[in-house]
Amino acid sequence: MWRSLLALTSVLVPSLAIAQTAGDPIRPLTIITQPQAADPREYQAAEIIADSWRKLGLTVNLRPLPGQQFSQVVWYERQRWDVTTWQMVGRPERGDPDELTYNLFVSANAANGYDFVGYMNPDYDKLAQAQRQELNFEKRKALVLQAQEMINEDQPYGFMVHPKNVVAFNKTVWDEKSFVPQAGIGIRSTWSWLNVAPLGAQKDVILNSVAPPTNLNPFNIPGQQGSWATEMVWDRLMRVGPDGLPQPWAAEKVERPDPLTVLVTLRKGMTWSDGKPVTIDDAIFSLQAPGFGDKSPMYKPFVRNIDSVTATGPDTLTIKLKAPDAAFLISSLAKLNLAPKHIWEPIFDDLKNKPQTAESIQEEKPVGSGPFRIVRAALNQEIVLEANPTHWAKPKVNRWIMRIMPNVEASLGALKSGEINFLADYTGDPQILRDLAKANPNIVVSEALDIGFKFLAYNERRPPFDSKGFRRALSAMIDRHLLAEDAWGGAAEPANSWVSPALEAWTAKGIVDRVPGAGSLEAAQKMLKDAGFVLVNGKLHYPAGVKETTAPYN
Amino acid sequence: MARHIAERLGHLLLVLWVVASLTFLMFRLMPGDPTLNFLSPTFNEEMRAALLRGFGLDRPLWEQYLIYLGKLLTGDFGQSFLQNQPVSRLLWDALPNTVVLTLVSLVLAYGFGIVVGAFLAFKRGSVAEGFAIPMALATRAAPEFWLGMLLLALFAFQLGWFPTGGAVSPGGTMGTLTDRLTSGDFWWHLCLPALTLTLFLQGLPLLLMRATMLEVLNDEFITMARMKGLSRWSITMRHAARNALLPVVTAFALGLGASIGGNVVIETVFAWPGIGRVLVTAVQSSDYPLAQGAFIMIAFVLVVMNTVADLAYAALDPRVSVGARK
Repeated sequence: MWRSLLALTSVLVPSLAIAQTAGDPIRPLTIITQPQAADPREYQAAEIIADSWRKLGLTVNLRPLPGQQFSQVVWYERQRWDVTTWQMVGRPERGDPDELTYNLFVSANAANGYDFVGYMNPDYDKLAQAQRQELNFEKRKALVLQAQEMINEDQPYGFMVHPKNVVAFNKTVWDEKSFVPQAGIGIRSTWSWLNVAPLGAQKDVILNSVAPPTNLNPFNIPGQQGSWATEMVWDRLMRVGPDGLPQPWAAEKVERPDPLTVLVTLRKGMTWSDGKPVTIDDAIFSLQAPGFGDKSPMYKPFVRNIDSVTATGPDTLTIKLKAPDAAFLISSLAKLNLAPKHIWEPIFDDLKNKPQTAESIQEEKPVGSGPFRIVRAALNQEIVLEANPTHWAKPKVNRWIMRIMPNVEASLGALKSGEINFLADYTGDPQILRDLAKANPNIVVSEALDIGFKFLAYNERRPPFDSKGFRRALSAMIDRHLLAEDAWGGAAEPANSWVSPALEAWTAKGIVDRVPGAGSLEAAQKMLKDAGFVLVNGKLHYPAGVKETTAPYN
Repeated sequence: MARHIAERLGHLLLVLWVVASLTFLMFRLMPGDPTLNFLSPTFNEEMRAALLRGFGLDRPLWEQYLIYLGKLLTGDFGQSFLQNQPVSRLLWDALPNTVVLTLVSLVLAYGFGIVVGAFLAFKRGSVAEGFAIPMALATRAAPEFWLGMLLLALFAFQLGWFPTGGAVSPGGTMGTLTDRLTSGDFWWHLCLPALTLTLFLQGLPLLLMRATMLEVLNDEFITMARMKGLSRWSITMRHAARNALLPVVTAFALGLGASIGGNVVIETVFAWPGIGRVLVTAVQSSDYPLAQGAFIMIAFVLVVMNTVADLAYAALDPRVSVGARK
C-alpha cells in the first residue's frame, strides 16, 4: 500500500511541478486541406505531416474542405484557421522571383492581400522592396538570396515540394527533338507549340485539358489552361524565353536607359487577324487600357507602376515608371497582351456606364496578332486555334486543338489510341504514365520541375503560430524527401523556398537542407523548449502563464 | 380535360418558381463566391469589388432576387459569370446533346426491356430467366461511372473501336441539330455513352414488364382467351403484353424527365457536352446564373414529362379519365 502511494507520488509530484511552470495545453490544431479525391497527393502529404507533428505532443486533425469553401475560409476568414495546405502554380512570368518575393511575405499585404498568413517582418519588407528596385542583376540576386535565408530563419510556411509537370506525347507524330522546354514549365510551353515539327500527315497538335477555361479575350486571365491559348493568340511586347528570362517579341528592341525609363521599338509589318496593321497606338493603348478606371481589374496590377506611355516615333514609345521596378519587363511587358485599339477602345467607352468589366467581354470573332488565331472556342468542349500564316514566327503545325476532358483516365486512353497526341494536363499517378510509356514505345513521358510549390501556411494571427520557435519546430518535422517520394511518387523535389530550383539564377543552393533542425525530433523538441513550450504527460503546453484563448477550428 | 391541363400548368409554374427560388438561395448561402476562381498574388480587395460589381453581386440579396425573377419572367437567364455568354445560349447548345443521348438510350433500354421482360414472363421458371434476372439487376445496380469506365477500357482503350470522349472528333464542328443527327462522327461518339446509359436503364422496364405481365396473365380475360383456344404466344404477346405496357409507358416518360438531369456522371466520364456537364462546371465554379438556368431547365423538363406521363396514361387506358371527378 505504502509502496504504491510512494510510486504514485514519485510520478505525480514532478508532473505537477512541470504543470505549474507550463501554460495551458495547446488546443487541438487543424490542418485544412483539399479533399483526398480532389488532390490525393496533397492530402497524403498532410496526413504524413500530421503524424509527425503528433510526436511533438500535439493533437492534430485534418479537415478536408471542398474547393470553394476551402478558398473562402483561407482567404476571407483569416482569423479562423490554424494551418492550411496551399500552392502557388508555375506561370511563365514567375520566372522572375519578384511577384512571389514581394506579394507573399510583405506585411502591407497581410490585411487582405496575398500575405494571408499574416507574416510581419520589417527587415523582410525592406529586403523585398530593395530587390524590386535594384536593377543590377548580381546585387539583386544577393538580395533575393538573403530574403530566402530570412524566410528560412522565420519559417512562416512549412514548404513541402516543388512538383514536376508530367506530360507525354506520341513520338510517331512529333519530332521529339523539336519540343522546346521552358525553365520551370517544361515542354508544355508556347515555345514548343511554335516549334514542334510534325513527322507525318498529322499536323494538328491535339492536347487535353482537365478543366474548362473561361472566356478568351486579351484583358481576361482565363485560368491556367486557357492561358495556354491566349498566350498564342495575342502577342506581347516581350515574351518569357525558354531560359526563363524576358526577351523581345512584338517589340524589336527594349532598352532601359535609367531605372524609371523603358524604350520600346515595335516590330514592323505586324497585322491583326482582321487585316489591319498593328500600330504604335495599339501598343500604347494596350499598356494604358488596363488602368482605365476599374474596368480591367485582372490586368490593372500590371500597369499600376506605369506613370506615362508616349509615342516617340512611328514605331517607338517610351514608358515612364513611377518607381524603379526590376521585374517590369517580365511582370508587365511579357504579361500584357497587345489588343487592337480600333476594337477595344469603343468597348472600354461602352463599359464606362456599366457595372461589367473588360473580362466579361466575349467577341464574336476575337482579333489578335499572335502566331495562332481562334477558330472556335466551345469552352466546355474544345478550343481550336489555327496557325497564322502571316506571323513572323509562323508555327509548323496547322492547328492547335485543346480538348476538355474532365476524366483523367479517358485522357490516358485517348493518348494511347491517338485521339490526342499530347497529354498536357495530367493530374493522376505519374507512375501509371511511366508504365504506359514502358508498355508503349511510341509514347514519351517528359517530367520538368515546376516554378510553383506546395506548402503548409501557418496562420500567425493565431497562437501558437505567432511563435517563431513553434513554427520552426513544426517545419523541422516535415520530411520533405519522404513527401516527394511517397506522396508525389517521385514527381516532385523537396522545397524550402518559393524559388524553384528550376530558376537556377535565383535559387539559394542547398536551402532545402538548411531547414533549422531538419528531420530531427530532438532538435524540434529543443526548439519548443527554448521557446518556452512544455511537454506535460505527453501533451504540449504553452509557456508558463500563457492561456489558451483561441477556439479550435470548427 | 381543359381544367386538368390548366391545373397542371399551375403546378408547373409553382414548381418552377420554387426551384428558381431554391437554387437562387442555395448558391448564395453556400460558402464562397465566383471571385474565388481568380485568387492570385496580384488579387486584392479592389479587384474583388470590381468583379462583384460586374456580376451584380454587390447588391442586397432581395434586390438580386427581384432582378433575377424579373429577368426569368422575360425568359432571360442572365449571363454566365465565367464563360461570359448568355446562359440560354449555353443551355440550348447543350440541351440537344443531352436529349439525343437520353432518347436514344431510353428507346434502346425500353425496347430491349419490354421485349426481354415479356419473353421472360413467357419463359417463367426457365434457365433463361435464372440467368437474365440477375444480369438485369446487376447492371441496374452497378454505378454508372464504373459501367462507363469498364466500357471505355474495353471498347476504347483496348479495342479502339470507339472514341474516348466528346461528341465530335478533334477539330470537328457540331453545327445544327440536323448536322449532328446526320453526322456519322456524332453517332460514333454517341455509341459508348448511349450504351452505358442503356445498360443502366434497361433493368427497370425489363423487370417492370415482366412483373406486370405475370400479373396480367392471371387476369380473367386471359383465361377467356385460353378458353377460346388462342395460342400461348398470341395470348402473351397480343393480349397480355399490350395491357402490361401501361406502367412501362409511364416509367418511360418519367425516366425521360429524370435522365435529362441525371446524366451528370455519364456526361462527365465521356466528356459528353450536355446539360449535366454544364451543371457540374457551373456548380464547381460558382457560376450562379448558369447553374440556376441548368436547374430550372431540368426541373422544367421533369415536370413536363410528369404531365406527359399522366396524359399518356389517360390516352392509353380508357378507364383512366383525367377530366372527370366523380
